[in-house]
Amino acid sequence: MAGIGIDAPGTTELLIGNEAIARGALEAGIGFAAAYPGTPSTEIMESLASVAKKMNFYAEWSVNEKVALESAAGASFAGIRAIAAMKQNGVSVASDFLANIVMSGIGAGLVLVCCDDPSAISSSNEQDTRNIAKWLDIPLLEPGTFQEAKDMTKWAFDLAEELDTICIIRSVTRIAHARGNVKLGELPRKEHKAHFDNICPVAPTLTKFIPYPSAWLHQQLHVKLDKAREVFESSPFNWYTGPEEAELLIITCGSCWLYSLEAVKTLNLENKVGILKLGTIWPLPQKLIEKHLSKSPKILVVEEIDPFLEGSIKEMIADLPPASPHPTFYGKHSGHINAYGELNPNMVIGATARIMDITYESRPAEYSKKAAEIPFTYMPLRIMTFCPGCPHRATFWAIKNALRLDGRDGFVTGDIGCYSMAIGPAGFFQERTMYCMGAGAGVANGLGKLAQFGFNQPVLAVCGDSTFFHATIPALINGVYNHSNFTLVILDNSATAMTGFQPHPGTGITAMGETTRVVDIEDLCHSLGVQVDVCDPFDLENATATLLKMIAENGGPRVVIMRRECELVRARREKKPLYKVHVDPDKCLGEACGCNRLCTSAFSCPGLIWDKDAGKAKIDEVICAGCGICADICPQEAIIKEAV
Amino acid sequence: MDMKVKGSKELLTEVIDTGLCTLCGACAGSCPYLVSYKGRIVLLDNCTLSEGQCYQYCPRTYTDMDAISQQVLGMPYSSAELGITKEVLMARSTDANIKGRAQYGGTVTAILSLALEEGLVDGAILTRMSDDKTPSAFLARSRKEILQGAGSNYMACPVLEVLNHIPKDSTERMGVVAMPCQVLALSKMRNEPPQNRINIGNVKLVVGLFCTWALSLNGFHQFLLENLDLPRVIKFDIPPPPANRFDAYTSSGKISFPLDEIRKFIMPACTYCLDMTSEFADISVGSVEGIEGWNTVIVRTDVGADLMKMAKKKGKLEVNTLPPGNLAHLKEASLLKKKRALKEIIAKSGDRKNLLYVGLQESIIDNLLA
Repeated sequence: MAGIGIDAPGTTELLIGNEAIARGALEAGIGFAAAYPGTPSTEIMESLASVAKKMNFYAEWSVNEKVALESAAGASFAGIRAIAAMKQNGVSVASDFLANIVMSGIGAGLVLVCCDDPSAISSSNEQDTRNIAKWLDIPLLEPGTFQEAKDMTKWAFDLAEELDTICIIRSVTRIAHARGNVKLGELPRKEHKAHFDNICPVAPTLTKFIPYPSAWLHQQLHVKLDKAREVFESSPFNWYTGPEEAELLIITCGSCWLYSLEAVKTLNLENKVGILKLGTIWPLPQKLIEKHLSKSPKILVVEEIDPFLEGSIKEMIADLPPASPHPTFYGKHSGHINAYGELNPNMVIGATARIMDITYESRPAEYSKKAAEIPFTYMPLRIMTFCPGCPHRATFWAIKNALRLDGRDGFVTGDIGCYSMAIGPAGFFQERTMYCMGAGAGVANGLGKLAQFGFNQPVLAVCGDSTFFHATIPALINGVYNHSNFTLVILDNSATAMTGFQPHPGTGITAMGETTRVVDIEDLCHSLGVQVDVCDPFDLENATATLLKMIAENGGPRVVIMRRECELVRARREKKPLYKVHVDPDKCLGEACGCNRLCTSAFSCPGLIWDKDAGKAKIDEVICAGCGICADICPQEAIIKEAV
Repeated sequence: MDMKVKGSKELLTEVIDTGLCTLCGACAGSCPYLVSYKGRIVLLDNCTLSEGQCYQYCPRTYTDMDAISQQVLGMPYSSAELGITKEVLMARSTDANIKGRAQYGGTVTAILSLALEEGLVDGAILTRMSDDKTPSAFLARSRKEILQGAGSNYMACPVLEVLNHIPKDSTERMGVVAMPCQVLALSKMRNEPPQNRINIGNVKLVVGLFCTWALSLNGFHQFLLENLDLPRVIKFDIPPPPANRFDAYTSSGKISFPLDEIRKFIMPACTYCLDMTSEFADISVGSVEGIEGWNTVIVRTDVGADLMKMAKKKGKLEVNTLPPGNLAHLKEASLLKKKRALKEIIAKSGDRKNLLYVGLQESIIDNLLA
């Protein structure tokens, strides 16, 4: 990450896409950056925050994406170029503000970077942000290379100022997290000067930053978009490669452009197939596209997730004069390209070969079969799990035991974070609903009001500490206000662990590494008048008893804070385990009645292994984090922990 | 009747879910999977073993009564109303302190104290009332602690879970005060000693209690909460027939309830129990109808006989002959329980050949059903 602040114009650095975007923002002279972590967007803020102090701008981890975007807008309104970065889910969180800011103008350049996650590799959905740009009339650019990621970001600030509206950079995982050469540009040496202009040139009683009258402003927005379209017609981010008259035209954008290039090359179709690569995605450069549509009888649209280009281009064709050529379209509607998940070169090769009536076998069928079988022969079977030493494993063990003991068929509503693993064996299948940030408590609010319909199952909502600040507080307040019967379990591991230990309001550290006032979760809950208990999840007995007590209560929400630092954060700081753990094979009952290897079959910490030959449990010394919790699980006291 | 030993899954489907569980506690605590909680047996994790001690020692899975009787009492199951007996008599403690706290004659407390004093046992597992008047089993290691166990609250309590928690390598010798179902479970353990957990050989004395039925914790405790100021309750009593009452003695006097109000809280499992007098115990103890402050005592084993002899000799117990009328009545009640239970079992299984858990000779069954 050191690379992004290098003041050496013209030199080439190997950057991941997110760093290239951050560098672009630096070259654009931003004074303000705000983000909420979320894969695959996180490194944008991490790299910006790492140079912010030195480069004299401000960077923050905001409490959520909506506040991040609003903060950035605030800076923009006062004449400071600002960037907000987030993943696709975050854009939904910020969308209310987004839908309103488009109705006004901006101050200095304001850019929203959104990293989409095709195949939802690190997400709970694969929402396509391009649709939001169309929905809310926002100019959107999408880089297809790492150089473009930087250059486009830099240009997006100029564009935003020229159009007087917020602009979006959309990226996907394979751009965000892959690495490529980026030729650096100049870093501006401008002093930032912030001032909020109280006077609106058109209506003296208003400022520019009040979206009123909305309908008129909506019309103005369309004028801005028309202007953007005009600019995009000649944008260097759109280009065509291939023969003058192509048998097949591939229209593509983003990382799919590279897959398309590879497909055409692999099939030796350079003389027959052309590729129109688009970088300005919304509004689409209509004239440019129409020009290419007329030169090819067949069009294949290669894009990830939704048929955004495909649909938008088809709309364009409906407006063409009746005599215009009407090419045949291939893509997601025709079934040639998946309308879900990531693409890869093979998929594009397959689609292209089918359209061009070419037989192509990427590898012999026998080889493919063998390749598919090999992983299951040699690779150990691994499931999604909590890290060794993770406090969440103990928390969900206590939750499971408490719910079973309570015996009223209670269950957990959850959301996204490390603790989402609790939908599977790592968390003993305890999490039974899993939606967006804060939804565990939100859903619990409804369930907690169903007593009049005969509902008496205990409801436990879980959220992480960062998620608590992000989106759970309103749900908790709603529960207090409406007297909803649920228990909120806050899994406080003192970090935004899922995305890489970013600090949050409960940690007392800012993105720029400065100490700050700690927002105390316990105090905050107390101020709402709810009953709050704090437990160490590693004190399983107390944690289970506390949960049981809270579950048994009736009335409004109760809060249990399960507080234990993320083991990875602790280990990074202290550089040594808490305990040295080993199994006494003489005491271990193994599979015999009385234990039936509870530690490796039920508790299943990856640091525990089952020695099949010996019929005993063992500690995997490489993986064991030395947390010692398994010693409390073992019914035989065969797992021994010694303080280090 | 299925005589096979099975696992925890079948324990749930065959015993717990079908209302046969007596909450004796034999399955709980001997592994991390099964525990008791507030009057229920709870499976915390799914155990995959096809055979388990939980199923094996359950007094409501198949039980070969002859084998058990042979092991514990040295002869096959007897068709006598009170089972195999050496002596039936009545007794009471001579200790005013014990008598003041005891349910009837304080015999159990007296003989346990003596066993402890004499070094026959190092401790005893008993039940005491918690402050909220729920029963809880505990291991008493002193005379003072044994006294805490005096008195009854008539609720089922998983006493054997405490026994299961004692480490296998413990050398402490134990006495257990148990209900008939618990005595049966203990006898199953004595017949085929558990391999991995407790050392059943450490159980040196089993004092069985007479039991007509026990109340389930959940409903009954709620009833008590709704009808009594529990912190003020000193003692509960169900006086022998024909009283037909449930009495609660509080600091401000006695409060009585018709027994029928209480009957609805009887454990469903008790319907299927044949044993009123803990027929496999060393000594069985109950009340004496119409004679207040005394216990009926049935001596069954040499251990029991030696202890009674010593209690008499050391002046710990005052012993007397049980009046013939009382003995006859006791036998009648015991036989009635057997007959009624067998009929209920057959009604439940729907098959005269399927007696669920009861492994008895045809001839004995025929006699009881006659």
